Amino acid sequence: MNRFIILCALVLLLGAALPALAQDMLPYPSDLTECEVDLSGETVNIFHFGDLSGPYAFITQPIVSAVSDAVLYWNSHGGVCGAELAQVYEDTGGNLEATQSAYDRFSSEYAEELDLLLLYGSGDGELLREQLAADEIVSFISAGSIESLYGEDGQTPGWLYASNPLYINQFGFFCQFVAANPEIFPDPVIGFVTWPGAFGMAGTGPAARDYCGGLGVPVLAEPQIFLPTDSDILTQVQNAIDSGANILYSNSLASGPALIASTLVDLGMDEDIKLAGVNWVMDTTVGLLGQRVLKANGLPSVDGMFGSMPYLWWTERDNAAVQFVTQQFNANKRSPAEQNIAYLVSWGAVDSIIEATIRTVNRVGSLSAVTGAEMRETVESMDYAVLGGLYQHKIEDGMREGTLNRIAVMKFANATMSGPATGAEDALLIDDGAGGKFFLPLVLPLTEFMPVPQLRG
Amino acid sequence: MLEIIKKYEAQLRWALYALGAALLLLFLADQLAGKKAARILQTLLSGILVGGVYGLVALGIVVINKASGVFNFAHGWMMVVGGMIFWSFFSVSEISLLGAALLATATMLLAMSTASFSRLRQRRTQLLVLGGSLLLTALMTAGGSDWRWLHALSGAFAGAMLTGLAVERFAIRPLIGQPLFTAVLMTLAIAEVLHGVTQIAWGTVELNLPIFVNPATGSRFQPIRLEGLRELLDGLVIVRVELVIAFVLALVAFSGFIIFFRYTSVGLAMRATAEDQQLAQAVGLRVRVILAISWAAAAFLASIAGVLQGGAVGLSLNISLVALRVFPAVLLGGLESISGAFIGGILIGIVEQFGTLINSSQQVGTNLAPYLVLMLVLVLKPEGLFGEKRIERV
Repeated sequence: MNRFIILCALVLLLGAALPALAQDMLPYPSDLTECEVDLSGETVNIFHFGDLSGPYAFITQPIVSAVSDAVLYWNSHGGVCGAELAQVYEDTGGNLEATQSAYDRFSSEYAEELDLLLLYGSGDGELLREQLAADEIVSFISAGSIESLYGEDGQTPGWLYASNPLYINQFGFFCQFVAANPEIFPDPVIGFVTWPGAFGMAGTGPAARDYCGGLGVPVLAEPQIFLPTDSDILTQVQNAIDSGANILYSNSLASGPALIASTLVDLGMDEDIKLAGVNWVMDTTVGLLGQRVLKANGLPSVDGMFGSMPYLWWTERDNAAVQFVTQQFNANKRSPAEQNIAYLVSWGAVDSIIEATIRTVNRVGSLSAVTGAEMRETVESMDYAVLGGLYQHKIEDGMREGTLNRIAVMKFANATMSGPATGAEDALLIDDGAGGKFFLPLVLPLTEFMPVPQLRG
Repeated sequence: MLEIIKKYEAQLRWALYALGAALLLLFLADQLAGKKAARILQTLLSGILVGGVYGLVALGIVVINKASGVFNFAHGWMMVVGGMIFWSFFSVSEISLLGAALLATATMLLAMSTASFSRLRQRRTQLLVLGGSLLLTALMTAGGSDWRWLHALSGAFAGAMLTGLAVERFAIRPLIGQPLFTAVLMTLAIAEVLHGVTQIAWGTVELNLPIFVNPATGSRFQPIRLEGLRELLDGLVIVRVELVIAFVLALVAFSGFIIFFRYTSVGLAMRATAEDQQLAQAVGLRVRVILAISWAAAAFLASIAGVLQGGAVGLSLNISLVALRVFPAVLLGGLESISGAFIGGILIGIVEQFGTLINSSQQVGTNLAPYLVLMLVLVLKPEGLFGEKRIERV
């Protein structure tokens, strides 16, 4: 019952600007290349595997839902140049041995067709980087560690292409924002409070510290690390504050940023210490989990948290891609918890794969003639507005990742749904149907899309 | 020289231990010298309170070990299942009567047939199953959302009983008389099954479990601020209420289980069963029932820990990993010791927090310090701090 009410509320909000939805299904928003080869009777597989049940499951699980919905959509609209679209995926549970096993299975069982693989995690990318290159398999990834994209030396572009900017570049971009806004961040000092591992540690390093320091934004040398299972991180947060930090930056997601925010509220320092993070902190999961603890003004602890936003978000309803995905989300009766950034971006990933496939097939003449090398040539030459503008796929100068970013802030909707609430008294509170209420999270861009600094050295 | 060393071997060993301890203390004193008193007290408090939750998790593992000698690797997943069942009843306004009745009936059927399924043929047992099922169903569904605490507690209780009894009945019981290692491996299989069941039933999205919410404010309980000590300690020390609640619950559970094992016939029978299941059966102890009770009790403890952890950070599959962090606490306290589990949990909590205070960037607190302490203790006392020293007669 509560899920139904939440769903209705979200549908109401996100559908408010879409009066035509009830009558007509929206057209596919991408400007896809025209098919020159008829692929009727064939199957285009979307191969992907990653952590669907381990530490990152709460953000990756909607990937499967989004790919399933996209497959359903395409097959009910004639397929890709007549070919049926399908997905082949496996859950690795965040275990690198399982990742290797999945890769071995995929690359042997689908040796002829596996030219493009979708991956989710930095750790997986780092593990498979050399093997993908040796096997000539292109990989799209929604992650951004230097090692996965450029190897240990940070200078060797591989076969992985990230849709978002490198995490370290996102951090540098945030430093630019801090330096440009001294009224929000007076005398800034950034402390890293983050998860361990390839993802958690990918946003920091000497290059980032030097760059930010050069902008007049010092960064503490020692990151404070906590685990996704930690229930108390007072020690880590106080360590950073005692070392002089007045901005805490995190490469974590879901409960990670929420826990930092609640710790700041507990310490009574949420007004003095700003919180920010990588693109995954700007997500529905964080907005909902951050409601366990309220600030003095009655809004959730994560209200006012800054973060990177290299994609569009659900609330940017004037965009055709967002409208389309929202409509598909509702039509497929997905649960509110799945309405996160992974669902949105996965539609984009499928769109990119389809566009790359069409272009390559047009060039080589048939689906069976597509090889990893041919696919790579396509991917590197593509300048493509994914799903009509969700993000831009453009590979320049041997780079392997997205280069445009924005800074956004997490807020919560006001009662009239005309903007963010200023306090509990004017906030929109939705009954969860089980005696509780929740605030509706919004992600509001504060800047335009701009190039990120290049910090990988 | 060699003769002297041989003669005073024991004394020399203890002198080396003392030297090591002194060096460790000197190192800690150096590391903590620049820290404010408030930080040191805060770290100690956090360690004790977090350690209480570790102790609660460790207790569940020890209960199984004490009764059956099996180290339960599925305990973390039993925490997740317990937490998820609680969430299902806590967060849903209209609970399915049929679902609740099925859960209650299955629980009662298994509970009343622990000795054997043939008992279900008896009229008295049938009436008990019926009465118990009706009562449990009523507790899980009666009233509206104002009664959700009652719904959730009874649902979690029934769910935990069902999980524990089912695991014992269908996975552990067939292994009675087999080498213990077989049962240990079985717990690994149970963990995977519970993992799969959780994923299918509740998905993998992290769930909010707002149990530590003050109804008046809609926010989590405000932490207790020791403002009076601010000047004295040169900083603010806070105590998080939810961790205090978890700690108190852990204390209650420990006290209950200590009394249970020391002073009840079932508790004593459990200890006897752990020594030798076949011998215990030969002297008339109902090993099956005893094992069933211990698995149900462990599942119940796991549920409590799952709910507390879920309430503190959110319910996700990651909760199962807490059990891995607790393994050093179990070994430190002693595998068979109830009080050892509690003290081991607190010690590990304190060591983790101080390790983090000294060096968080290298994860000294979570990856190194607990295991160093564990190694040190096991070298000195291989049976753990409070474990039973076994003397094998040959």
